[in-house]
Amino acid sequence: MISLTGTPTLQTERLTLRAPQPQDADAFIAFFASKRSQFVGGPMTERQAWNFFGTEFGHWMMRGFGMFTVTRHGDDTPLGIVGHWYPRTWPEREVGWVLFDPASEGQGIAFEAAKACIAHAWDTLKWDTIVSYIDHGNDASVALAKRLGATLDTDALPTKPEDPCYVYRHHRGALV
Amino acid sequence: MSSQLIPTIETGRLSLRGPVAEDYPNFKATFASYRSRFMGGPLNTYEAWMLYAAEMGHWDIRGFGMWMIHDKDTDETYGMAGGWQPAGWPEREIAWIIWPDKAGKGFALEATHAVRKYYYANGWDTAVSYLDPKNLDSVRLAERLGAKKDADAPSIDGSDAVYRHPSPAQLDDTQLAHGIEMEIGHYADPQFKPKGWALD
Repeated sequence: MISLTGTPTLQTERLTLRAPQPQDADAFIAFFASKRSQFVGGPMTERQAWNFFGTEFGHWMMRGFGMFTVTRHGDDTPLGIVGHWYPRTWPEREVGWVLFDPASEGQGIAFEAAKACIAHAWDTLKWDTIVSYIDHGNDASVALAKRLGATLDTDALPTKPEDPCYVYRHHRGALV
Repeated sequence: MSSQLIPTIETGRLSLRGPVAEDYPNFKATFASYRSRFMGGPLNTYEAWMLYAAEMGHWDIRGFGMWMIHDKDTDETYGMAGGWQPAGWPEREIAWIIWPDKAGKGFALEATHAVRKYYYANGWDTAVSYLDPKNLDSVRLAERLGAKKDADAPSIDGSDAVYRHPSPAQLDDTQLAHGIEMEIGHYADPQFKPKGWALD
């Protein structure tokens, strides 16, 4: 059996954040095929989503960090992906978040997971900066970024020069 | 963070190993070049990086994937070969790509023959290659591997030709298998100068 090895697991009050596993594919692909993914690169075809799911694993191997699959303690159902993302050509390292199912919203799950990932980035990965790239119109993510203590940085570069987005900058010590 | 459990395959000249971050630059250079035109390229830097990451993730999702082809002695990379079945592929494919400046030395033949043998020894009973009919180098390689066009097999999207590889029995100590090994042997001979255009 082939599998990612050496990836950390993060525990929060309610959540277990673990590396992606093949059985997360269906939830991941269904999300990226849906209109719900419009602010995070989707919607995309099944083939595109499948390849993108593959990059979730490869990112861990290329960078040594990556996106976690968010699950509740004792229930391995994937709720979304939250974590650390830095593909080639991106100006800065990001903490990003996605919840697959709208039913998971409104419970502070993304906040709880992102908060743990921000702490992990500062304390363990020793990042100097953290941003979150957020598409224009993604009001829910803007609200979450603000709740995480991030502020809009109008001087920071977007991920693609031709495709502007909000860059929310996280601040050390904003979350305790 | 690695897929440490990807097996290594050794051939006469080559060592096939799982892709790692250090091997990325040659992949990127190839997918930025015209060489990649039959494999979805050329790609920009971001796209090439994401595809390389997806090549790694394929191993995790499917349990098989593409190996990086190394020179057994110098460790230099020559390309990739292995099994490939992303979403939308009707069957498991034997796939390959050789870096543009490493073509013509029989590396693709040697690597694909070895990976096919590996998969046949590990549960596959058939394999196809989905080829752009204009990709003459790859069509030629499929034929040298004994694959034949399978007009009845479903293609990916109608624009590709399906080449069906010989079965495990057809490669078990047969004239076909000996012929492939003899050709690989020719390429391994430093005196050998292939006639005609460069072949993978």
